[in-house]
Amino acid sequence: MYVYRLVLFLVFGGYLLSPVLMDGWGEPGTVWYRPFVIWGGLIALTLWLEQKRKLDER
Amino acid sequence: MSVELLGVIVLGLGYFTLLLGAGLAVERGLIPVRVTRHPLVYTLALGLYASAWAIYGSVELAAEAGFGYLAYYLGAAGVFLLAPVLLVPVQRITRTYQLASLADLFAFRFRSRWVGSLVTLLSLVAVLPLLGIQVKTLSEATFHLTHSRYSEVATFVFCAFVTLGAILFGARHRHQQRHDTLLSVIALESLIKLTALLALGAIALWGVFSGPQDLQQWLDGPGAAAQAATPKLDPAQWRTLLLLFFAAALLMPHLFQLTFAENLSRHTLLQASWTLPLFLLLMALPIPLIWWAAQAQHGEISITAYAAFLLSTNPWVGALAFLAGLAAASGTMMVMAIALSGMVLNHVVLVARPPEARSNLYGWLLWLRRALMVGVVAGGWLFAEGVSRHHSLTDLGLAAFVGIAQCLPGMLALLYWPGANRNGMVAGLVGGTLVWLWGLWLPLLLATPLPRLPFLDMMPVDAPSWYTTTLISLSVNIVLLIVMSLFTRTSGGEHSAAEACSVDAVIRSKRLPLEAATAGDFTQHLAGALGDEAAGREVTRALKALNLTLDERRPYALRRLRDRIQANLSGLMGPSVARDIVDRYLPYRHDETSGTDDIHFVESRLEAYRSRLTGLARELDGLRRHHRQTLAHLPVGLCVLGDDGEITLWNQALAELSGIPGDSVVGSRRDSLPAPWPALLAGVLEAPHTPLYKQPARLHGRDCFLTLQQATLSGLDSRGGSVILVEDHTEMKWLEEELVHAARLASIGQLAAGVAHEIGNPITGISSLAQNLRFDTSDPALLETADHIQQLTQRVTRIVNALVGFAHGGRQALPAPTEAVALKAIGDDALHLIHLARSGEDVGFLNASPGHVVVKGDAQRLTQVMVNLLGNARDACKAGGKVIIEAGEQGGYAWWRVTDDGEGIAPSVKDHLFEPFTTTKPPGEGTGLGLSVAYQIINEHQGRIECASPPSGRSRGTAITLWLPLYPQDDRPLHGQDTDC
Repeated sequence: MYVYRLVLFLVFGGYLLSPVLMDGWGEPGTVWYRPFVIWGGLIALTLWLEQKRKLDER
Repeated sequence: MSVELLGVIVLGLGYFTLLLGAGLAVERGLIPVRVTRHPLVYTLALGLYASAWAIYGSVELAAEAGFGYLAYYLGAAGVFLLAPVLLVPVQRITRTYQLASLADLFAFRFRSRWVGSLVTLLSLVAVLPLLGIQVKTLSEATFHLTHSRYSEVATFVFCAFVTLGAILFGARHRHQQRHDTLLSVIALESLIKLTALLALGAIALWGVFSGPQDLQQWLDGPGAAAQAATPKLDPAQWRTLLLLFFAAALLMPHLFQLTFAENLSRHTLLQASWTLPLFLLLMALPIPLIWWAAQAQHGEISITAYAAFLLSTNPWVGALAFLAGLAAASGTMMVMAIALSGMVLNHVVLVARPPEARSNLYGWLLWLRRALMVGVVAGGWLFAEGVSRHHSLTDLGLAAFVGIAQCLPGMLALLYWPGANRNGMVAGLVGGTLVWLWGLWLPLLLATPLPRLPFLDMMPVDAPSWYTTTLISLSVNIVLLIVMSLFTRTSGGEHSAAEACSVDAVIRSKRLPLEAATAGDFTQHLAGALGDEAAGREVTRALKALNLTLDERRPYALRRLRDRIQANLSGLMGPSVARDIVDRYLPYRHDETSGTDDIHFVESRLEAYRSRLTGLARELDGLRRHHRQTLAHLPVGLCVLGDDGEITLWNQALAELSGIPGDSVVGSRRDSLPAPWPALLAGVLEAPHTPLYKQPARLHGRDCFLTLQQATLSGLDSRGGSVILVEDHTEMKWLEEELVHAARLASIGQLAAGVAHEIGNPITGISSLAQNLRFDTSDPALLETADHIQQLTQRVTRIVNALVGFAHGGRQALPAPTEAVALKAIGDDALHLIHLARSGEDVGFLNASPGHVVVKGDAQRLTQVMVNLLGNARDACKAGGKVIIEAGEQGGYAWWRVTDDGEGIAPSVKDHLFEPFTTTKPPGEGTGLGLSVAYQIINEHQGRIECASPPSGRSRGTAITLWLPLYPQDDRPLHGQDTDC
């Protein structure tokens, strides 16, 4: 269960802090595709975790 | 931009024809299974989440809240990013118990048909605005494209095709099966809307602007004021939106259907944890581009949702926007109709009117489902016509999402809080739903404002109603769920279901006997509920899935069969009805001892989930497997029985000893084992602490002797039962008999030595008298008699010496044989002596040995061997029988063979032929020493003796062959050439 606690902690923390991220997206002077780059980074991280899980299960 | 209505209808019908063609191609196998079941197809199908709201409503939300529109995509992406801890456990439960909908899952977990019905009704009411959005956007998009007042007619036609598609792809067959066709069709729909939306984004970026740089310049320059004027979402509202879309992606009936009911692979689901967020990213990317391009071209826009139609005057751009919306709306409505029809059927119709034994149960269910699909689409159309047209897409969408979010507390409790019970669930759901209906849903229907919700004064004054309603309804829901669960009683059924659903599931199935004695009885029992045809089909289906036969009698297998039938019926009629049917028609017997834990089932579950265990759980499982392997490979037979006589372990050694594989007996009762095991096990169980030594048993066609020992499993942590060790002591028993036999031989040997000593003196006297007789007479007849007496007394002396030698452990005092002995002469001597016995005169003897075969040996002792062999041969032959002596040379040895055509030697005697006192003759007619002595003499000659009975190439008789070393061919005299020497 401790694994899930850690995950839930991170998810809840990210959820609470997400407005700070959103404020950064709308700031003048930032490139318009910035939110999508961050999102793409998150997808790449998930892909890496998924590959790691596959290797672990082999 | 105005396009003829007919052109739009043709475009729409072309799209539906494409879907139908793709569906038929998949169904007929024209598209390979590896394509239709590819994880990418599943991901694209999950793209169903992006409904018409994603195509038009997102643009509206982007216009109202800037990047706040991303909450719609990020909420759903969050669900799939958390797939390992959120979706996989739900998938495990739905797959194990064949739960096809959210209502099935809740009814299963909270063991309440009311919970299932409540969730179904809530889902139905909550998705009506969403269905309304699909119909409304179809109608408005058609209008934007054609400006025709008949656009609603086209929408009606599209709705009819959507209904047809739902029936064709979701309720075409009588028997439930995995909808590969549906998945593929929805994937195609997602691909079309993604392509269309990306094309619109590209048109906006490179058609309206001159590329990313130009867009950036516009945003920093002319467009900066417009962007600055766009209101920003309050952080709390942003979080709430994220939560709502998170809940929607997890709980919307059509998404639940695709995520869990249509996918059976954990791997595919985990792969979607990054592929679906990628899909959503691609869907989200064109939205701001479309909005900015429309803003750049037109400045103020009144109907923001349809900004895509303003990108260009080219009718194909509008057609693209329309096609994206049509694909999104049709897919959403189709799967929603399929999912909701199943939920309403299982949790409203069948609960109100349980199925009785019908001759055509499947057909009845199918037609009911089709009717419900028509009803769902018709409901959406009516809602759109009556309500949706007066509200914005955002208002409608948020009303739907807040409604479905009322199931979120229950879902989280289902996964992470085993203490939640049905009272808490119902109270929370009802409380939250009432607040939601009051705050958001009823205001959609009613023009007059409703009284303010309680607690509203605690909210910010300018907060939108969706935000305040969400907070209040979810707070009421959560508080009621927790309070009622803590202060009301939880049933035993709920406890076990909670354990089955919990992420840390520890399933402790009970071992109860069933009323049905065999798998065949199941059909008979179930026919009362389902009718003969459906009962037979369901039992056959479950047997096939478990790889069992109708003759199956093992209690363990019957329990698994019952579980499988319940799971299959759950997929057909929902868990509540399935549980009622199974409990009523396949009941457990409660007349015996209370059920004990089904260890075998627990173990099989642990084996299945082994790869998913982590940390300490994995270590403990490794330890369990080690101990299991230790018992399984124990070189002694081991059997573990429960208190009810059910076998829970049957190790490899016992399987080899008994010839009964462990897999076939584990889970069965000991009295169902083949003989002699029930009697043996019962014997040892009835005599605790007393081993049963060397119990005779016939195994594999041979007599065995088994020793059984039993120990009772008791103690604080014990689950009861007995462990029995079974050892094969057949070899030991044989060795013991051999030992006794050897002791007997030793005694007889000692006796024989004493007798030989006593006989020796009179024989010496007889020999001396015969010697004297030779000097006292010249009568040739008397002289010959005296010679014979002396030869016979010498033979007796040698026998006596042999007996003494045998009694002294085989040590012979006689000198090593070195004489040259002609075998033919020895044979003649032996025949002569045999004839003197004056018996067997009706048996013919022939010495066919050639004269040149000369061996190194002792003539007297070899004569003794031959006399013994000839005597045995003679006794074995019937009247007219024939005994032949032959000899020859081979490889430095001479072979010397006595062959008779007598009865032969029994195989049981043959193994002990050369042992002392082995005889087939009646008592008093043979000592059993002849062949033993012959063996010993030949052994002393460094030869060997062989027995063939019958000899090769003959059907009867015996051939005893002696192998003796040849005498070197130089000097002789040969014994036998002068027998008187």
